[in-house]
Amino acid sequence: MNIENYRLNCSLVLAAGLLAGCATGVQNPSGVSVTEMRPDERGFVAGTGVESQDLVRVADKMSRGILGIPQVTRAQGTPRIVLDPVVNETRFPINKDIFLTRIRAQLNSQAAGKVLFLARDKMSALERERDLKRSGQVTTGSDPNVVEFKGADFFLTGKLSSLTTRTTKGVSDYVLYTFQLIDARTSDIIWEGFEEIKKQGLEDAAYR
Amino acid sequence: MSNVLSPSRIAAGWLAGLAGLTLLFATGCATDSGGSSKASGQPGPPAKDRLLWSYRNTVLNMRAGRYDQAKAELDETLARLGGIYGPDKAAASARRLFSEESKKTFIGEPYERVMAYYYRGILYWMDGEPDNARACFRTGQLIDSDTENKTYAGDYVLLDYLDGLASVKLAADGADALTRAQSHTRATPLPPYAPKANVLCFIEYGNGPTKHATGEYREQLRFREGYPGARSALVRVAGQAWPAPPYDDLYFQASTRGGRVMDYILAGKAQFKGATDTIGNAAIVSGAALAITQQGRRNSGDEIGAGLMLFGLASKLVSAATTPAADTRCWDNLPGYLSFTALELPPGEHTLAVEFQNAAGSTLRVKTTTFTVTAGRDTVLFFSDR
Repeated sequence: MNIENYRLNCSLVLAAGLLAGCATGVQNPSGVSVTEMRPDERGFVAGTGVESQDLVRVADKMSRGILGIPQVTRAQGTPRIVLDPVVNETRFPINKDIFLTRIRAQLNSQAAGKVLFLARDKMSALERERDLKRSGQVTTGSDPNVVEFKGADFFLTGKLSSLTTRTTKGVSDYVLYTFQLIDARTSDIIWEGFEEIKKQGLEDAAYR
Repeated sequence: MSNVLSPSRIAAGWLAGLAGLTLLFATGCATDSGGSSKASGQPGPPAKDRLLWSYRNTVLNMRAGRYDQAKAELDETLARLGGIYGPDKAAASARRLFSEESKKTFIGEPYERVMAYYYRGILYWMDGEPDNARACFRTGQLIDSDTENKTYAGDYVLLDYLDGLASVKLAADGADALTRAQSHTRATPLPPYAPKANVLCFIEYGNGPTKHATGEYREQLRFREGYPGARSALVRVAGQAWPAPPYDDLYFQASTRGGRVMDYILAGKAQFKGATDTIGNAAIVSGAALAITQQGRRNSGDEIGAGLMLFGLASKLVSAATTPAADTRCWDNLPGYLSFTALELPPGEHTLAVEFQNAAGSTLRVKTTTFTVTAGRDTVLFFSDR
């Protein structure tokens, strides 16, 4: 056997082996530059939980649903809505009021005047201001003794529920988003909308 | 000049070449994945250990009453835990023959991940969000569901018990969760829910499990029970006492999970390491024997012998480079036992003492706190014997 060829072949094999052994370098050693994404776009960082694209999708659908009901479109005067906290029954801890905030913001910006929302979460500040007016400590443009805080025509509330399955093949999470518009006078549920999203994932074997 | 070299010269040349190559690649591979904080100038954790540091800091912050800092640590931790699905280069690397398991980004074994959700659940409840607390307890129980023996799947007593209690607080039905929790208890019966209980005491004591590796190449992950400490607690308020028995035992949870998928990978690595080592030994010995016996006989026997020796050496190098050792990084400041007591107290200021007791019933430590109960809201208290 030719000694030089033998040496060359062995060198290549060894170098390849050593290179393979070294293939544990740092990922993205220079980092990943900030990428601006649309909120309804699925990013490269994703889990099976509630994410921004779900929020956008759900809020869009609910807003369109609310604007399509006759009690809103054919109402005598402008219906006034109070937001009632969403109940989270899923396995994902989330800032649940963000759904109502986005629905309200979308309705206010895209259908201004068709519905009005009452700022019940600001009641303590509003009452303090009214009391200052009543006591004459600040000026007022109207009679402060007349009750002008509006009552609600409807309550908007929602619930997030989930079903989770975990097997050796991965985790599957189904989340059901339901929102209701309730008549404050009769307690009738005059509208209910829902959206359902299912996600599945499997972690690397190194974590199982 | 003759083109035929003696076997000893070939071997010497190869040894020098191999040493040079190894040094070259070792230098090339010595990339620091560390995460020293350049901005602050303080040494930080390597990126792969960031969660481990967060876990440890969480416990320290909880015990010191720095709940906001614990929340910040946990929010980052849970965001990472919730996004581990799909391909992961660090994890893939940990599965390779020549890379250690401890190269992967640490997220912890299930009992460690469960504790991250458990602590976050406590903090959510402290903030008056029992539904988010319940979400954390549910995820914790789900993480524990991936056991080899399904008898031990999702068997945390407190996670189900607190899930049900949160439901009761939210005017829902917690009966199913209570039944599940009761079915997990091994010795201590659970108290029925008291919907009017407004002071929730989360109590932990004892020392948590630690990890070690066994096997010829330390490829088998094992758990060691924490050293003995407190085994129960007693809550005293206004002359009354409530027991706080150990509902969950973290060593039990860690040791009943069963085999991991990674254990099979490590076993395969260990088998490969052993086989290449044995082959290397055999090749070197037979090559040396052949080279010595055939030297000077003017045939190819000595060359074959030298070749075998080189092959054996390469096999030994491959064996040495194979790393089947199990990852023993560990959330090492966890408690051994988890307990809980719910009390009904009138609005106003109260002083509460928790007595931590050893297995013999002797009091090891007493912790006292003064707090104010506000009407219409749960007061959540956290106690540790450390």
